[in-house]
Amino acid sequence: MDTKRRDLGARESNQEPSLKTTAGSHGALLVSRRFVLAQLAAGASALAIRSAWGWLSPAAARAQGVALQHLSVAQAAVLEALGDTLLPGAARAGVAHYVDDQLGRENPLLFLKYVDWTGPYLDFYAQGLQSLDRYGSVRFGVPFADASPEQRTALVREIAAAVPAGWTGPPSPLFYFVVRNDALDVCYGTAEGLEELQIPYMPHLVPPAKW
Amino acid sequence: MKVRSLAAAAALLAACRGGEENVTGEKTDVVIVGSGASGSLLAAKLAQAGKRVVILEAGPERTLGDLYSSQIWSRRLKWGGPVSESSGEHPIALNFNQGWGTGGAAMHHYAVWLRLHLEDFAMKTRFGRGLDWPLGYDDLRPFYDRVQAEVGLSGDADAEVWRPPGAPYPMPPLVVFNQARIVERGFAMLGLRTSPLPLAINSVAFNGRPPCIYDGWCDAGCPIGALVNPLVVYLPEARAAGAEIRHRSFVTRVLTDSRGARATGVEYYDAGGRRRVQPADLVILSAFAVQNPRILLNSATAAHPNGLANSSGLVGKYVTAHLSTNVFGLFSDETQNYLGVTGGQLLSQERYAKDPAKGYLGSSQFVIGNALKPTDLLGIAGGRPEIFGEALHAFLRTASQHLATMTVFSENLPALQNEVVLSDRRDAYGLRLARVVHTFGADDLACFDAAVVQGREIFQAAGAYEVWDAGRHNAHMLGGTIMGRAADSSVTNSYGQTHDIPNLFISGSGLFPTSGAVNPTFTIYALALRTADYLLGERSALA
Repeated sequence: MDTKRRDLGARESNQEPSLKTTAGSHGALLVSRRFVLAQLAAGASALAIRSAWGWLSPAAARAQGVALQHLSVAQAAVLEALGDTLLPGAARAGVAHYVDDQLGRENPLLFLKYVDWTGPYLDFYAQGLQSLDRYGSVRFGVPFADASPEQRTALVREIAAAVPAGWTGPPSPLFYFVVRNDALDVCYGTAEGLEELQIPYMPHLVPPAKW
Repeated sequence: MKVRSLAAAAALLAACRGGEENVTGEKTDVVIVGSGASGSLLAAKLAQAGKRVVILEAGPERTLGDLYSSQIWSRRLKWGGPVSESSGEHPIALNFNQGWGTGGAAMHHYAVWLRLHLEDFAMKTRFGRGLDWPLGYDDLRPFYDRVQAEVGLSGDADAEVWRPPGAPYPMPPLVVFNQARIVERGFAMLGLRTSPLPLAINSVAFNGRPPCIYDGWCDAGCPIGALVNPLVVYLPEARAAGAEIRHRSFVTRVLTDSRGARATGVEYYDAGGRRRVQPADLVILSAFAVQNPRILLNSATAAHPNGLANSSGLVGKYVTAHLSTNVFGLFSDETQNYLGVTGGQLLSQERYAKDPAKGYLGSSQFVIGNALKPTDLLGIAGGRPEIFGEALHAFLRTASQHLATMTVFSENLPALQNEVVLSDRRDAYGLRLARVVHTFGADDLACFDAAVVQGREIFQAAGAYEVWDAGRHNAHMLGGTIMGRAADSSVTNSYGQTHDIPNLFISGSGLFPTSGAVNPTFTIYALALRTADYLLGERSALA
């Protein structure tokens, strides 16, 4: 069957867009590291928030103190604490501003869309964050945002495994799953995130800054 | 106004919803609900035959220029309308599988185009379980062949030893990269065969569309048109032949004459929330498998108190989905898992043959070497959802370079209790939303679990230093408006024509009486082409 599988050389001879390759150890094609890195064009950030100062990334919106539109300051603090526990750096990357901005959109691009959540998106976050804070108080006597890193890790491990007694709103494992993906979005869901992992972006079309 | 009948209640409700903005459009020959795979093909063929065609698409307009290379942006292509409820012991992922906007779900499908096998069409006859289709593989084979010749498929029919008879693929297979080669070692070690994966993606230029560039952004839509999607195949032909597509047109009901004998058109709401009526000689429901039964059930009248086309009581019944998971392995080799296409690179159907002696009835298959991105539902991080904290950063750094995967699909036997029903919740127009109830059976789970066990063995044989799987998930939604031979045991005939209302047709995966274990899109297109031929032939409902 191998003889029928096209090789890249054949395509290059057709003058089509091509990858720079070398032969791999298994007859497959290895893309050169030089090519990979060359493809890591900075590009525009895929995450941008309209503010009085123009279009900003969530990280810049956070750094510049852009006012939240849907989440309260207290809710954002819990979301950032949870985001940093799930994926350190998510708070600075603007997870709270990202979620807050998307909550105001007609067709939000949040991961939450995938889980067939039938209620208002804001309720998902508001109820989950409230339950998390409350559970922190029950377990360690402090709200989640004020808990130590070790306590936060323990709390996250517990809510990911099962719904604690007294938890209301979205089931805690689902809440964990969704916010974990929000954190991944802001840290690794853009061209910069791919570059961080040394994954070639290779875009067909780079998203516009405005969305 | 007193309400003495369902019809009066419906009229009152419609009047309340529509207010004074109740616009009836000019009558057309055909109205098609949904612009996805089957809707776009039917629109093209009927318009090219001179029929006046209107397509009503619930979502917004998409163009190739909208298909940004971003997992986050790609979520725009997933269902953005009223959210159906998903329930049962194994709820089906609904939003993820549906589309939103021009082209529907076909805009974000992975283009793994496989034919159902002969035994998939005759489960009841051959095994005494499941259901029979009202047609056999030989009936559908010419349409598989014609579709692949029209749109272009890449593959190697000779190497695909399990493939039912059919014309060779018009294009050679796509390039196979390191990830799939590494996993292929495991298959070879265990004496299992693999073949190139047949894909509706160009390996060479085809019909003016360019070849794939292997960047793995299929899930976000393919703006160069190397991957078959409705924006590049069938919708352009439909538009060129005069078909009109109206976006943000949310269909709520099929309308019938006073006796309920014929469909007269559809009711829909436009972008401004205005109630509109599109009269038509022929109505085709080509929406997603959850929306078609919802529309039929919401279209109840005095003549059809249980919903249209539902004299059998089977509208919404026999919903199936494929059991699915990913087997993962970490290898010391560099896997270059970012290269290729989302659908995969190699195929193995060594487990497809149905044999009750295995201890279960069902088929399964492996699709090997899906191109990966770090984030999103099927991304690298999604493969280990239990990992968080600094460990997640570390896992991503390692897995980005050394992870390989393959997808397991397995069969779901049809069961009457798996169904689409109407929820008590209502949408913005007052119509009841859908609720899908779904639970896999013992055969389904046994078939799937056995495949996963073997999948893990394959990865170990391939040399992975760590192997795991993602657990039981599902993919695709099928059934709910099944075809069959008799009016008391199915909703439509083999052409998607409803038994009860001769000028009301249904297309798409909802027609499937059984699921098989293969990705459904190729069969959706083949069935739609067969329906188009029927509609334009001697027995046409359009005559």
